Amino acid sequence: MNSVPLALYAAALIAYAWHFARRSPGVGLTATTVLVAAALAHTFVIGMQTMEAGHVPITSTTPFISTFVWLLALAYLYLEMSTNERAMGVFILPLLVALQTIPALNPGVEERSAVLQGPLFSLHVSSLLFAYASFALACVIGITYVLLFKEIKAKHLGFFYARLPSLQVLDRMNQWMIAIGWVFLTIGIIVGLMFAAQVRALPSAAVDPRVQAMSLGDPKIFVALVCWAVYSFETFGARRLGWGGRRTAYLSALGFAIVLLNFVPISYFLTRSHDF
Amino acid sequence: MHILVVGLSHRTAPVELRERVDFQGRVESALRALAARGSTDEAVVLSTCNRAELYAACQDASRARADLAGFMSEFHGVDRKALAPHVYDLQDLDAARHLLRVAAGLDSLVVGEPQILGQVKEAHTLATGAQTVGPILNRLFHASFAAGKRVRTETGLSSGAVSVSFAAVSLARKIFGDLSGRSVLVIGAGEMGKLTAQHMKSQGVQRVTIVSRTMAHALHTAEAIGGAGAVPWEELDAVLCASDIVITATGAGSTILTKAHVEAVMRPRRNQPLFIIDIAVPRDVEAAAGEIEQVFLYNIDDLQATVQENLARRASEVLRAEAIVAEEVSRFSQWLRSRGAVPTVVALRQKFENIRRAELERLDFKLSSLPTEARPEARACVDEITRLLVEKLLLTPTEQLKALGDQDTLAAHAEALTRLFGLSPSPDGERETVRASADPEDPPTGREPSRRVEFFRPKSKPSSGSGR
Repeated sequence: MNSVPLALYAAALIAYAWHFARRSPGVGLTATTVLVAAALAHTFVIGMQTMEAGHVPITSTTPFISTFVWLLALAYLYLEMSTNERAMGVFILPLLVALQTIPALNPGVEERSAVLQGPLFSLHVSSLLFAYASFALACVIGITYVLLFKEIKAKHLGFFYARLPSLQVLDRMNQWMIAIGWVFLTIGIIVGLMFAAQVRALPSAAVDPRVQAMSLGDPKIFVALVCWAVYSFETFGARRLGWGGRRTAYLSALGFAIVLLNFVPISYFLTRSHDF
Repeated sequence: MHILVVGLSHRTAPVELRERVDFQGRVESALRALAARGSTDEAVVLSTCNRAELYAACQDASRARADLAGFMSEFHGVDRKALAPHVYDLQDLDAARHLLRVAAGLDSLVVGEPQILGQVKEAHTLATGAQTVGPILNRLFHASFAAGKRVRTETGLSSGAVSVSFAAVSLARKIFGDLSGRSVLVIGAGEMGKLTAQHMKSQGVQRVTIVSRTMAHALHTAEAIGGAGAVPWEELDAVLCASDIVITATGAGSTILTKAHVEAVMRPRRNQPLFIIDIAVPRDVEAAAGEIEQVFLYNIDDLQATVQENLARRASEVLRAEAIVAEEVSRFSQWLRSRGAVPTVVALRQKFENIRRAELERLDFKLSSLPTEARPEARACVDEITRLLVEKLLLTPTEQLKALGDQDTLAAHAEALTRLFGLSPSPDGERETVRASADPEDPPTGREPSRRVEFFRPKSKPSSGSGR
C-alpha cells in the first residue's frame, strides 16, 4: 500500500524539478496538486493501518518512518502555502521519496507490545515526529541558503539566484523551523524520560530487555541528546556568538544528519531500548 | 478590411523628433481628430517615450496610410517632409506582428522592459473610451496582451536588472528581502551614489544617510534625494554600524573602508548582513573586505558584469519570445481569415431561412384542415423541426468555410456557393458581417451600437437585391 504514495511522491518530485528549472506557474500548480494527492493517498494508507492495528502506526520503526514522511509532506505543504514559495519542493521531495522507499519495499508489521501503552508513549512519539519534520525542513532551507549565499558571495548570479527567495527569508524560515523543532524535541525527550520511569515500575519491566536498556548508554537515547545539544546551541548560543546565516544553516544540516543517523541505521541495527 | 500602423520609434527617429510627435496627454483629442477625418474605421494611438504609433483598421489602405502620415504631421505641426524619412508603415499581418512584438518588449530600447505592456493596454483603454475601437483592433490588441503576458511568464526576456542602479537594488532585495525597515548609508555626494540611493528609497528603505567630507555637499545630496539625512564625516563609524546597505562613491582616490575597518564594524552588528556597493573609481573599499562572512561587496565592474549577464540572458530568450509572438500572430491571422467567410455564411443562412419561412407559410394553408385548437401546436412543432434541420444542414459547410487556409481558396469556395445557391448579399450585409463575425468569446469593444453602425459603413454592392 505504501507504493502508491511513493509513486505519487516521485511524480511530484519530477514536477517540482521541472518547475524549478522552467519556473512555469502551470507546472508549479501541477506539482503542488500531485503532492496534495500523494499526501491524501498517504493519509488513506495510514488511516487503514490505524484501523487495522487499532492505533496510529508509530510503534515499529518502518511504520514510524512512513508516518514521519506523511507528516513531513504535510509540514512542507503548510510551509509552501503559507509562504507561497515552491522553490523548496525540489529539495524536500528527494528526502520524502528516499524515506518512503523503506516502508514501500519492506512494509513491516505494526505490533504494540504491552509496555508501549498509554498517553505518555503517544505524546513522546508524536512530539519527536513533529520535531524531526521541522528539522528536516530546516535542513533543506539551510542547504538552499548556502547555495544562494555562495552565488551572491562569488558574484555569479545564476540558477539559484533567479529561483530562490532572499537570504533573509530563508534565514528566518530556518530559525522558525529550528525553534519549533527544538520545542517538540524537548517535550519528546522529557516525556520519554517520564515514560521510561513509568514502565520501569511495571511488573513486566524486569523481563523486558528494552526497558532495561533505557539509559544514556543506549545509542538512540544518547544520539537524541546530542541532537538536542546541537539544536539548543543553534537556538540559543549561535546567534549570540554572531553565527548568523551560513553557519547556522550548516548547523541545521549537521543536526538533521544526526537525526537521520538516529532515525534509520541506529533504529534498525544498534538500539536496544527502541528495538520495537 | 485592412490593418495599418503608421509611426516612428527609437529605431527610426532621434529623441528630438520623438519629443515633437509625442501624443502623451493628448491621445483622446488625437483619436477624436482621427475619427473625424474618416479615412479609418478604427483607431488606437500608442504613445510612449520611445514611440508614437497610430494603429488603424480601414477599407482603403493606401488612402489611410497617406492620411495617417499627414495627420501625424498636422497634429504636431511638424513639417511632413522632415517627418517622412523617419516614419514607417506596416500593413495587415505585418502590422499585427509589429504590435505583438511591441507588447512583448521585443521592439523596446531595452529588450524585455516590462512597462510597454501596460502602455499598450493604456492605449487600448483610451481608444475604447473614445469609442474608436471596433472588432478588428479590439481582437488585435487583446492578442498583443496575450503575447506580452505569455512572453513574460514563459520566457526570461524580462528577467534580471539591466542598469547598474537596478542591479544594486535587485541584489539588495535578494539579500534582505523586503527593503522597508532597512538603512542605507551613502558615502560621498556624487551623482551615481545619489541615483542608487534614490532607487533604494523608491523600494521603501526606512532611512538614507549621507556622509561626505564636506558637510555642505552631504546636505545638498540629502536634499536632492528627499527625506534623507546628512551627518559629518566623523560619525561615519557609528552610522556604518547601524546601516544595512552602504553605497560608496567618493572619488577620493584612496581606500575609505579597509578590511580591518569593516571587521571592526561587524562585531557590534553581531554579523548581521552588510551589503557594500562600491561604485567609485578608484575603489573606496578594500577588496579583501568582501571575504568577511556576511559582508557582500560589489564594485562597479561586478554590477556591470551582472548587467551584461542579464542582457545576454535576455538576448538568448529572444528566439523563444519571437516563437510565442509567431504563434499568437498565427492565431490572430486564423481569426482574421475566418472573418472573410462571414458574408457568404450569412447569405447562405439567409437563403435557407427564406426557403424555410416560405414553406412554413405554405404549410399554414394545409394546417387549416386541423381543428383550430390543434393548429398552433402543430405549427410550432413543424417550425422547430425545420429550424433544427436547417441548422444541422448548415453546420458543417459553415465550419469548413471558416477553416479555409488562404484567401484565394476562400474566394473560390464563396464564389461556388454563391453560384450554386444563387446567393445575394442583403443591403445590410456588411453590418451583418460585422455582427456575425464577432465571436461570442470576443472581448467587448465598449463601443455603442449606434457608433458601430456609423463606423462600419455598408459597402456599395453590385446587386442590391434583398434575400429577405
